[in-house]
Amino acid sequence: MGLAPELERSIGRGIERFARYLAYGGGIVLAAVALMVVASVIGRALDGFGLSPVRGDYELVQTGCGLAVFAFLPWCQFNRGHVSVDILVTQFPMRSQAFFGLIGDILITLAAFVIAWRIWAGFGEKFPYGSDGLREALSMGHRPFFPETTYELSIPMWIPFGLAFLFSALFFLTALYTVWRALNWTLQGREQLA
Amino acid sequence: MTGLELAIAAFALMLVAIFFRAPIGVAMGITGFVGTWYYLGNPNAPLSLMKSLTYETFSSYSLSIVPLFLLMGQFATKSGMSAALFKAASDWLGHRRGGVAMAAVGACAGFGAVCGSSLATASTMGQVALPEMRKRGYADSLSTGVLAAGGTLGILIPPSIILVIYAILAEQNIVKMFIAALVPGILAALGYMLTVAIYCWFKPDAGPALDRVPMGRRIRDLGQIWPVVVIFGLVMGGIAADWNWTQEGVQALFTPTEGAAVGAVATGIYGVFSGGLTWRGFLDSVLSAASSTAMIFFIVLGAHMFNSFLAFTNAPQQLADWISGQGFAPLLVLTIMLATYLIFGCVMDSLSMILLTIPIFFPIVQALDWEILGYAMNQEQSAIWFGILALIVVEVGLITPPVGINLFIINSMARDIPIARTYAGVAPFVASDLIRVVVLVAFPGITLWLVGVMF
Repeated sequence: MGLAPELERSIGRGIERFARYLAYGGGIVLAAVALMVVASVIGRALDGFGLSPVRGDYELVQTGCGLAVFAFLPWCQFNRGHVSVDILVTQFPMRSQAFFGLIGDILITLAAFVIAWRIWAGFGEKFPYGSDGLREALSMGHRPFFPETTYELSIPMWIPFGLAFLFSALFFLTALYTVWRALNWTLQGREQLA
Repeated sequence: MTGLELAIAAFALMLVAIFFRAPIGVAMGITGFVGTWYYLGNPNAPLSLMKSLTYETFSSYSLSIVPLFLLMGQFATKSGMSAALFKAASDWLGHRRGGVAMAAVGACAGFGAVCGSSLATASTMGQVALPEMRKRGYADSLSTGVLAAGGTLGILIPPSIILVIYAILAEQNIVKMFIAALVPGILAALGYMLTVAIYCWFKPDAGPALDRVPMGRRIRDLGQIWPVVVIFGLVMGGIAADWNWTQEGVQALFTPTEGAAVGAVATGIYGVFSGGLTWRGFLDSVLSAASSTAMIFFIVLGAHMFNSFLAFTNAPQQLADWISGQGFAPLLVLTIMLATYLIFGCVMDSLSMILLTIPIFFPIVQALDWEILGYAMNQEQSAIWFGILALIVVEVGLITPPVGINLFIINSMARDIPIARTYAGVAPFVASDLIRVVVLVAFPGITLWLVGVMF
């Protein structure tokens, strides 16, 4: 039963692996940020001994942690990690529960689309390249006069925004897959989350 | 429709959606988005807000503390600290009636000092302490009840993820919130131990006493908990202690976010050397932290969207003005707010409740004059005090049926114990929580004293 359940399951395995490695990547960035902070704190505490804090540590924490959060989104959604109140729905038959789960996945997909779409618009405001025609075609808006950068290290903001767009697009695709999966669960009559 | 009516209608619709299993973050976000659209007549404002809101929320410096503390907590669960804590505590307390259950409380409190999450505390301590209590012939209801309740110490004792979120929403100093949580957290642990003692006084078979452990071994095992002491001291000392008292104000060694990073690294290093944190373990820690992080930030993002809608309608301010204008007794208002948390806590998780309610409750708290039993509070003091009270009552939600996540976690470790017995076992601890809330309401000084001493 369901909409191409075999294909859905094999794609699901691929997405699972992919989301997992993306989360690993985010975790490694997070750990690297933590190590950088320790180095910076030691440098600041011992600045009388010729050491110094890491330059731009504040914005490295922001950028690193922020991108890690984006990288964690697909893994969370794949595992239905977003909290919901199940108490009322658990009184319903299995198929209805699966149906309300499907609605939830559709709502998340909708939100993921808006998030990715708007980050793309934000990216366009920060990305100073591309011909007018190309920008028009990609709906990136006008080229910014002053491309925004971070405060201390002058990292162009389009770089983290571009990565954030990439990760939120992957979040959207994962969410889209979960809708397919939830549809099949509804058709099959119950949820089969591992 | 006035702004206030629209806000009330939107809030009601959102609650209905949430009760029909809409993920909470998305329910708040979509309600906020559509509500603003409806209020302003076009979607331009929310669409333009969304260009930067997601990135700014996820890369907020003060929120960066959340994934770092979650990672630290995950490292702590892998490092064997929980076993060392439980061993030391049961050496010292095991010979009393109910002593192993008291030891579980003590170990939970110790673990809570390096872990900011109740779930992680309940599951980690449960794995260590539950088999031990069952082996020693402790009653099922006491064993599961005490661990579910003890798990809440993970968040009552700083560091605490919920307090970070409260501090951000209420624009309060995170360090002061952590310090204010310390005494109520210790009171919570002592209250749970007392509850165990009373329980076993009525039912002596529930918690048989063990043989007394020789002093030499007690001291040796107590020495084994040094990493917890060192890491807690490093993190809290680094963010709260005044390292350069010649200068005006508190000169801390690092910010709370940096403290979380230092704590994560220190815990990780200890985990690697203790052998508990392998590469495999690191990757597992990352996955657990990733899921919780994404879940939390998604709700925070939705809450931002919803709160910007509420700000447009000006409803929270109107409500606060109306309540303070009516001349209701502040204690009555406080009781209603805390009761709301207790009721919602039966079915909803603590973070969602804080994010849903603080934007509405906090202006009310600030609009009222607080003087309890001769103890007058200024705005900052009442903000800290209310935050700690809210934290405690939302945490009670973790151990109240029908949906108490800590109960489920502990029960899933002992599938032969019926959930009803766990429900019964946790009831005395809920009572202890409620008594503590009343005490903290009546004597705000208990919460605010340490903050006053340190700042």
